[in-house]
Amino acid sequence: MNFEEYRTVFVTGSLVLMLIAAAPALSLIIALPDGSERFSELWLLGPNHMAEDYPFNVGVNETYSVFVGVGNHMGDLMCYLVYVKFRNQTEPLPNATASEPSPVRPLYEFRAFVADGDTWEKPLAFSVLEASHNGDSMFVDRLSINDVVFVVNASTRWDSEYKGFYYQLFFELWLYNMASQSFQYHDRFVGIWLNMTSS
Amino acid sequence: MAKSTSKLLVLLFISTFSASVFMSGSFASSLEDEAAASIERAEDSMFSAYQVVLKAEQVGANVSALLGRLNEAGELLDEAQVAFRLRSYDEAVRLADLCFEIGEETKDRADELRADVYGSKVMSDWLTMTCSLASVIAIGFGSFWGWRVFKRRYYQRVLRMKPEVAKDEF
Repeated sequence: MNFEEYRTVFVTGSLVLMLIAAAPALSLIIALPDGSERFSELWLLGPNHMAEDYPFNVGVNETYSVFVGVGNHMGDLMCYLVYVKFRNQTEPLPNATASEPSPVRPLYEFRAFVADGDTWEKPLAFSVLEASHNGDSMFVDRLSINDVVFVVNASTRWDSEYKGFYYQLFFELWLYNMASQSFQYHDRFVGIWLNMTSS
Repeated sequence: MAKSTSKLLVLLFISTFSASVFMSGSFASSLEDEAAASIERAEDSMFSAYQVVLKAEQVGANVSALLGRLNEAGELLDEAQVAFRLRSYDEAVRLADLCFEIGEETKDRADELRADVYGSKVMSDWLTMTCSLASVIAIGFGSFWGWRVFKRRYYQRVLRMKPEVAKDEF
């Protein structure tokens, strides 16, 4: 190696060492984006805490249970609101293209504060307390969710294609927006179809 | 005379009945207003606590215990909202007040935690910056000094060298 090459090696080595020494200070000043995708999860599990055996054929005064859960991957501590809604086949679901929630009024609600990378889960027990059947119409009067009784007055007609009286219990995810200081629909919902079998 | 007395009695009965209906209506309405105000106050308290907890988390505090308290407050607020919808206004007020208490307590604790962690974080950041800067300066001076020593020795070695001429090259 000649003298110039020695000098190049020396200067490069010194700069590398200086950069390594400056790295802790630089990390405090320069915030690098982590590049990961920001999203939230909403899920529904059956009574055995598995994605199976969901309640489907529902009778009056029988209690059914599911688990609703939320996962936070938004990069910060988040505040979520889960609305529990009950609808018949004609009432609208949330509009996925317009990011609008369902206009069906919520029956029950859960608020959850979830740290980034963490999950939250709650059991939900429901039962139909009062329902009447008249020809090809079914009328659900009262529903109980986690031991709280709600008057729902929801009617549905016989579905000749799928052979049943169908209702849907669904869950909407809302997220607290710091700027507007209110909850906003987070464009996620899950639900289960319920076939009222007896009255 | 008897006719006018009976008329008076009927009038008295009607006015008493309508007054009781009106009173019960306005009493229910004031209870509803009170419950709505309590829920709003509890909600405000809980969300301001959430904002302080979020700030504490952002400075690196361990907020898992505070998160548990916030979730307790959230559950109480859920129950208060449900009670309100079911017109159990007394229950809604009771639950909202409990939520408010937890919200205020959590906000105070989060504020203290944030102040503690922020103080130690500032200290640790200054220490990191100082050590890092001192290391860079030390490496800079060390390299400069090392290079001068190396250069001197290199020249001395070169100057000590005796030029030799190999026979085969000519």
